[in-house]
Amino acid sequence: MVDLGRVQKELQECNKNMDVSGINVKPKGDSLTHLIGTIPGPMGTPYEGGIFQIDIVLPDGYPFEPPRMQFATKVWHPNISSQSGAICLDILKDQWSPALTLKTALLSVQALLSAPQPDDPQDAVVAQQYLKDYQTYVGTARYWTENFASSRGLEEKVQKLVEMGFPEASVRSTLAAFGGDENLALEKLCCG
Amino acid sequence: MPPSMEDQFLDGADSDEISRSFTCCVCLDLLYKPIVLACGHISCFWCVHYSMDGAHESHCPICRNPYSHFPTICQMLHFMLLKMYPVAYKRREKQTLEREEETRCFSPRFDAYGGGSHTYKKLKIEADPADPSITVFEFKLCPDSSSNRVKKHFADLMQRQPVSLPQDFVIPISKQTSGGNPQGATLADEENVVLKNNLDQTCEQLSIADVQCTACKQLLFRPVVLNCGHVYCETCFNIPVDERFRCKVCQVLHPSGFPKVCLELDNFLEEQFPEEYALRREAVQLKAVHLHDAPSTWSKNSGIQGFKWSSVPKEEYSTWLRDNGPKIHPCAGCDSCGMYPIVGDRYRCKDCKEKIGFDLCGDCYNTNSKLPGRFNQQHTPEHKFELVNWKLKQEMMRLMVEQLGDGFAAPYFSGISLEQPGDPTAAFVSLDDAEETAENAAAIVLDDDAEETAENDVNGLAASDAAPEL
Repeated sequence: MVDLGRVQKELQECNKNMDVSGINVKPKGDSLTHLIGTIPGPMGTPYEGGIFQIDIVLPDGYPFEPPRMQFATKVWHPNISSQSGAICLDILKDQWSPALTLKTALLSVQALLSAPQPDDPQDAVVAQQYLKDYQTYVGTARYWTENFASSRGLEEKVQKLVEMGFPEASVRSTLAAFGGDENLALEKLCCG
Repeated sequence: MPPSMEDQFLDGADSDEISRSFTCCVCLDLLYKPIVLACGHISCFWCVHYSMDGAHESHCPICRNPYSHFPTICQMLHFMLLKMYPVAYKRREKQTLEREEETRCFSPRFDAYGGGSHTYKKLKIEADPADPSITVFEFKLCPDSSSNRVKKHFADLMQRQPVSLPQDFVIPISKQTSGGNPQGATLADEENVVLKNNLDQTCEQLSIADVQCTACKQLLFRPVVLNCGHVYCETCFNIPVDERFRCKVCQVLHPSGFPKVCLELDNFLEEQFPEEYALRREAVQLKAVHLHDAPSTWSKNSGIQGFKWSSVPKEEYSTWLRDNGPKIHPCAGCDSCGMYPIVGDRYRCKDCKEKIGFDLCGDCYNTNSKLPGRFNQQHTPEHKFELVNWKLKQEMMRLMVEQLGDGFAAPYFSGISLEQPGDPTAAFVSLDDAEETAENAAAIVLDDDAEETAENDVNGLAASDAAPEL
């Protein structure tokens, strides 16, 4: 059973100084075991200006087992799967310690964004690109950040799709469901 | 049954006043039945227990300092916190007890503070002895607070047994003592006032008697806590020639190295008793100069690796998989010295009925350890032990059964855990391991069919051995 008292305390603590860290955790639904974390892209990296959402599921053994985290926002990074958003980070696996919290784990993820480890990749394609053609990697990562992670980009996409004649509410929900991917959202809107 | 959100908020209402020093790093609540690890970091009894690794060396949640023995609760801290935060501490007690009842595994209970002076006087409220869930409440009085009358009153109360009081009877709050208490109704009003005043004073004021060194009986200066839970000044501990640290009170060996100063407690004492603390510091420095010994020498001791007591480095734990390493008994701990998991011979009590069982390591069995169990087992010296027949296959089978049975053992045996299918991140880590384990298990089952039936009790073992889970 998840220690809900602790989760509650963590949420209070984390959201108290959100202005400083920019990190924020909210329950996804009614349950405290499924949460959404938000981290800003670190300054001076291709992720700058992006707001990344991370899907957090707390296993039964939490805090003695690590929280299961994966990116809900699409991101181009050697240690994060560009397909599933799975994160390759030791503290989310065997190096987890019960003294770590959701906030410190999210801070570590944020640090991972500014310090990619291409020698221990999660996404081999991105890692190859990072090692062989760094400039293209920076370009792609920035493009993905602008497209999928920035709120300004999102508004533009919403406007564009609304102009095509789709209702705004369903445009927003479909875009959110596809992590901000405009083409996939358009496909979905056309189909159904 | 998880507590509702509203309960959680109500529970947290008193947490603002709790000093950060006494907040557990794991549950983020007030420490309850605190344990101080060899690195000086404090955590609750259950928080430490659940943080430990059932198959490997464990690491401190904060500094990752490795340790292999489950330390005993520090009773001095326990009673100090009970005195400082009576309401919050009782709330934690209630909370913990509810959980313990769910898991049918109980933490040790203390009748009275045995480590220090005569400051603690016990009021025992008769509970149904058949029901282990009912806690024995105790309270304490300071002899210097001219409270003879109160003491007499409670001495009378104790003689008039059985005294039946509601379970949420909390001495420090006078409202609750008089309300709903059949004995309280007979108290004269005047006496009630005296009782209230005295108790309020003693509860708010920590005295030096509550935080004194086990050896020098003075205010603790740079406190260190041994594995047995006794607290000493760092300077009061003379290092024996053979580098085995034995507690002066309980004569129990401290398993690994010289413990580090518990800095949280040290800082708290310096703030709480600034004058006395300064005096102690001066005295220690004077003594050091007198002995031509710089005070820093004591700190150097912290680095000394003491006598290694069957502690096995992390790499070696995995060698048991190859059948040539040390005998590791996963998820089984020694109830005397606290070694967890037990390495070497393991003796199991045949008469203890508790789910958690009662085990001793080879050393403790041979020294006829008479210490009580770590989980409030009703173990007595008359109980008979049997040597647990250690077999690699048995251990493998036991773990497999445990994991398949309830899936709970996973955090305790993360090395070969079978993660939930369909989780890409989990599969990423343990796919290889899981496959390997499954193959091994299959091989074992085939093997066992052909062999003697002696291993048929594996299932029984697994059922009784399972460590408590949350």
